[in-house]
Amino acid sequence: MSILQLNNISKNFGAIVALDKVTLNLEQGEVLGLMGDNGAGKSTLIKIIAGNFKQSEGEILFENNNVEFNKPMDARNKGIEVVYQDLALCDNLTAASNIYLTRELKKKFGPFSIIDFKRMFESAKNIFAELKSETLPNETVKMMSGGQRQAVALARTKLSKAKVVLLDEPTAAISVRQVAEVLELIRQLKAQGISVVIISHRMPDVFAVSDRIAVLRRGKLVANKFAKESSAEEVTALITGALETA
Amino acid sequence: MTNSNSKPKTSVSNIHELGLLVACVLVLLIFSFTAPNFFTERNLLSILRSASYVGLVAFPMTFVLISREIDISVGPSVAYSGVLFACLIKWYGISYPLATIIVLLWGLVLGYVVGIVRTKLFVPTFITTLALWSALRGMALWQTDGMPVMIGSKAFRHFFGGDFLGFPTVTWIMLVVFIIFWFLSTYSVLGTNIYAVGGNPKAARSVGINVDGIKIITLTATSFFSAVVGILFVARVSSGNSTVGEGMEFDVIAAVVVGGTALGGAVGRMTGTLLGVLFIAMIGNGLVHWGIDPDLNKVVRGIIIFLAVVINSNLTLKSNTGPKGED
Repeated sequence: MSILQLNNISKNFGAIVALDKVTLNLEQGEVLGLMGDNGAGKSTLIKIIAGNFKQSEGEILFENNNVEFNKPMDARNKGIEVVYQDLALCDNLTAASNIYLTRELKKKFGPFSIIDFKRMFESAKNIFAELKSETLPNETVKMMSGGQRQAVALARTKLSKAKVVLLDEPTAAISVRQVAEVLELIRQLKAQGISVVIISHRMPDVFAVSDRIAVLRRGKLVANKFAKESSAEEVTALITGALETA
Repeated sequence: MTNSNSKPKTSVSNIHELGLLVACVLVLLIFSFTAPNFFTERNLLSILRSASYVGLVAFPMTFVLISREIDISVGPSVAYSGVLFACLIKWYGISYPLATIIVLLWGLVLGYVVGIVRTKLFVPTFITTLALWSALRGMALWQTDGMPVMIGSKAFRHFFGGDFLGFPTVTWIMLVVFIIFWFLSTYSVLGTNIYAVGGNPKAARSVGINVDGIKIITLTATSFFSAVVGILFVARVSSGNSTVGEGMEFDVIAAVVVGGTALGGAVGRMTGTLLGVLFIAMIGNGLVHWGIDPDLNKVVRGIIIFLAVVINSNLTLKSNTGPKGED
């Protein structure tokens, strides 16, 4: 079943055509690698899916229903979460506090309602276990590696029961060892039936986890094929324009 | 992946607070053995009293600094609140409770306006409160011609300016306020949101925290407690006095920063501020007992506080190298 279907999505900024009739679908539990050079329209497409922009033309179907996203909250309420490159985490808070920020678990303490840290730590621990990450819930984020930060950000999306997770450059600017950790996180999301879109420049990472690769060039979708039927060479050629379509 | 079973690390705040506690004990011992009349019941209670006035504003100020703002108008704000309180009673014949309510409302409104100017007009709080620092002192002086406005109620003076169960009433009030702020900072959603705003305003906004609202709340609280202290000062000296609270903003901010709160926000705890307040009060009092010239006293305090901040910022820098967000 297609969880997300984009039909003929176009986006103009004045005279500039950022996206030109892009048709793309995302299956449940599928990992889609979205590739393209700078300015190819990847970010614009993600922002339309996330509700930051509204498309100029075309329609979005979510779980086979026509949807309109006027603001990010609309998309989030449907179960679409974006994890941006500069992970929106608070360094001075613990992993658990970050995950539960604005939806803290509470308990009664006399007449007051106070934050239930114990339950938050327990639950965060379980989410990390599901993600097979060894991130500690009660550790402050500023102490954490890039991979662990990624785990915290993804744990947030798990908590909101996201159905589609959009990852913007999840493996940029982190060490090789942490890349493996992040790729494992993505596989765990997939194993739990969550659909993932990753935007990345790093060819090996995309091929390592993606079921399907979509390539944008100058706002047009020039390829949309199964990862195992493609290759890094072909995708590079598609991105640069050496190959017109595939 | 490396430290899967390690215990949570001792946070820097803990180390800092332990260090500060040791410093407080040392200062207490040094002055007790070297300054005549320092270690007497009367003097220790006097230290506690002056620490309490500072503490009442220092706790909300801790939140202000954590949320990456500052309020330097404390001294004049205390003075003007006191003058307003005394004038309402003496010149307009308003009752004590009603005058209290009006002055507290004044404090709330003033803080709210500073918050609005910060969040809607994007004027840094340093500038707004610097302007207030001058304007409020000027208002207090002008309104009273620089003369104390005497007010009479003995009951009011004896209770709020005096002692209760062997300790200054203001110390009891300070303790209650400390517990409230400690509780807010540790166990409440509001406290978590204040830390989040200081840690990464962009992230806080993206998860739906009302960043502007949080800043307005912290600034309003500080202004409110400046008004509270203004009234309590009137109770102490039985008059509204345009010159009280001179340099109080220095004591308050110094206590907060000595207590481990970072001027750049995000880091800070109420327990640290409480220790910082006691530290500053002991130094101020002890230097007087050493017989140091009052003018030099200020110099020595400046140096001590400078050193404390150097130690503090080096501690926090080492552990706080994460990226900073917008603002």
